[in-house]
Amino acid sequence: MMDSPVVEVEGLHFSRGEKEIFRGIDLQIPRGGITAIMGPSGTGKTTLLKLIGGQLVPDGGRVVIDGQDVHALSRRDLFRLRRRMGMLFQSGALFSDLNVFENVAFPLRVHTDLPETMIRDLALMKLQAVGLRGARELMPAELSGGMARRVALARAIALDPELVLYDEPFVGQDPISKGVLVQLIKRLNEALGLTSIVVSHDIQETLSIADYVYVIADGQVMAHGTPDSLDIDEDPRVSQFIHGEPDGPVPFHYPADDFFNDILGLEVQS
Amino acid sequence: MMGQLRGLGRRGCDVLEALGRSGLFLGQSMLGVPSREGWSLWVRQMHFVGVLSLAIVLVSGLFIGMVLALQGYTILVDFGAEQALGQMVALSLLRELSPVVAALLFAGRAGSALTAEIGLMKATEQLTSMEMIGVDPLRRVVAPRLWAGFVALPLLTVGFSVIGVYGGYLVGVEWLGVFEGSYWSNMQASVGFVEDIGNGLVKSLVFALVVTWIAVFQGYDLVPTSEGISRATTRTVVYSSLAVLGLDFVLTALMFGGFS
Amino acid sequence: MRRSKTMELGVGVFMLAGILGLLFLGLRVSGLTFDMPGDTFRLEANFANIGSLKPRARVTMAGVTVGRVTAIELDSEWYDARVVLELDAGLEDQLPRDTTASILTAGLLGEQYIGLSVGGDPETLGNGDTIRDTQSAIVLEELIQQFVSNMVND
Repeated sequence: MMDSPVVEVEGLHFSRGEKEIFRGIDLQIPRGGITAIMGPSGTGKTTLLKLIGGQLVPDGGRVVIDGQDVHALSRRDLFRLRRRMGMLFQSGALFSDLNVFENVAFPLRVHTDLPETMIRDLALMKLQAVGLRGARELMPAELSGGMARRVALARAIALDPELVLYDEPFVGQDPISKGVLVQLIKRLNEALGLTSIVVSHDIQETLSIADYVYVIADGQVMAHGTPDSLDIDEDPRVSQFIHGEPDGPVPFHYPADDFFNDILGLEVQS
Repeated sequence: MMGQLRGLGRRGCDVLEALGRSGLFLGQSMLGVPSREGWSLWVRQMHFVGVLSLAIVLVSGLFIGMVLALQGYTILVDFGAEQALGQMVALSLLRELSPVVAALLFAGRAGSALTAEIGLMKATEQLTSMEMIGVDPLRRVVAPRLWAGFVALPLLTVGFSVIGVYGGYLVGVEWLGVFEGSYWSNMQASVGFVEDIGNGLVKSLVFALVVTWIAVFQGYDLVPTSEGISRATTRTVVYSSLAVLGLDFVLTALMFGGFS
Repeated sequence: MRRSKTMELGVGVFMLAGILGLLFLGLRVSGLTFDMPGDTFRLEANFANIGSLKPRARVTMAGVTVGRVTAIELDSEWYDARVVLELDAGLEDQLPRDTTASILTAGLLGEQYIGLSVGGDPETLGNGDTIRDTQSAIVLEELIQQFVSNMVND
């Protein structure tokens, strides 16, 4: 672990409509490592990434990246800051009107004045790193889900960012693709000296590469620590999540009236 | 009663808020500095909303001109005034039918497609990822489409008028036997370049702005689900048709109503 | 890249066609001409009643269009209508001073226009001169009224 954290989240509050999603979250993402943010589905992990990326504005608290308060920045400064970040979306989010090569070249074209040959070399390097140099002429619609995510990864690292955010990189992938992505995230992190934030609920894959883990549930940080220390944590909710038990402190049932009364159509005083 | 009143107030606030948001949206996208590839993006959109809409606009224009001549002839011939056919066809086309019908066709053909396209880009997180790459989608995605629509519709309207006048000529002169010279000379005597052609063009510029604006904003603002996209597409067509017809009345009153 | 080339060509042709279409509308449909303003000269004529004469109406001689009405206003001295005509420059200093201007109707219900018929005066009309001899529009209601009162008198 290195000196000052790259991303600091302090007392973050956020609610969507009536529903409170975060009730005071504190996170510190150390420089140069892979930090995993885990938690059951629906706890707002993707929302957290969007808050860090400055796409959503919190109700309270702040997000500081490299000493800059993300939500106090002007639109122009925010876009400048984002050039130093890469984000891998759950769906890949490739531009459907551009082919694979143009997708990877896109950030280079819009943010640099490099000559065409250099853009070509850089884009091909990134594609080579994810093993899809041969697929450069394909359109996004022709790619499998795993390939699309790898192309999106190549695009996310096209500008050699300092910080890469991964939104559910393993979800919906077959075991081989999962293995490939785990390898890629780890290798890229080491080779490029990135700081990575991985948001996921795939426990095995995430724990195998993470240096530090935050577990979020109920709008709060439930536990944090290195993967080894986390398993023995005594918090029942965390251990339920880590061990993948179907019911426990995190309930199997969505909050509802008493089943018996509901079935019989009895009025319930609420 | 109080509840209904409050509901009405809330609806009113929602409408005002949406108007404000869409106004900001329009300003930010049209006034922003174009991106470096702005030109080629604009050309691509011009091709999509302009060139590809040409066929439907021209075919409709031809038929409308022909119908106008046929209907006008049967009425005018009762007064022995069939030599005024050219004047009737040209004035109805230039002042009313070309701007309005072309705008309605444009809303159906290009507007709905723009909404669906941008909506799908939003649903598949392409807009969000563009923002994360540090590119403003308002400039990159929205602005070229707005400008393309703004330029394309007036050109389509001109095409509609030209082919409509020609359609009227086909039916009136070639088929019904109106004297060719009086078809054109009556037209030329009564059509003013500024007051008729110019005002028609101003109308179609206004319609172009409004229709493209509605289409693009509905796409950008929709709920990113398949249901949301289909609703927004419908809304685009409905709102822009209503806006075109309503604005047409206002503009006609201002231009030809004699309140100056 | 080939696709974008053909696309650019298509857009270029589209825009050119639009501009040509506008030109067609201007020249063929509205009868716009690119005559220099110096190619015309002005005459004025006062009428007791102009009927429904409008600006831009034709001015003809022997059925040939030789100019247009540019302005119509009320002459507050005589309370009649002053009509400003713009005629082809070729007629400047050619028309005799006693030329008659009359408001005519094309067909029974057609538009109204001004017809000029020449007299025999050796002096001619120049730029800005006034045509003295005018004949007002025939107003259908007045005609009928005259006809009816004549019938009663008989």
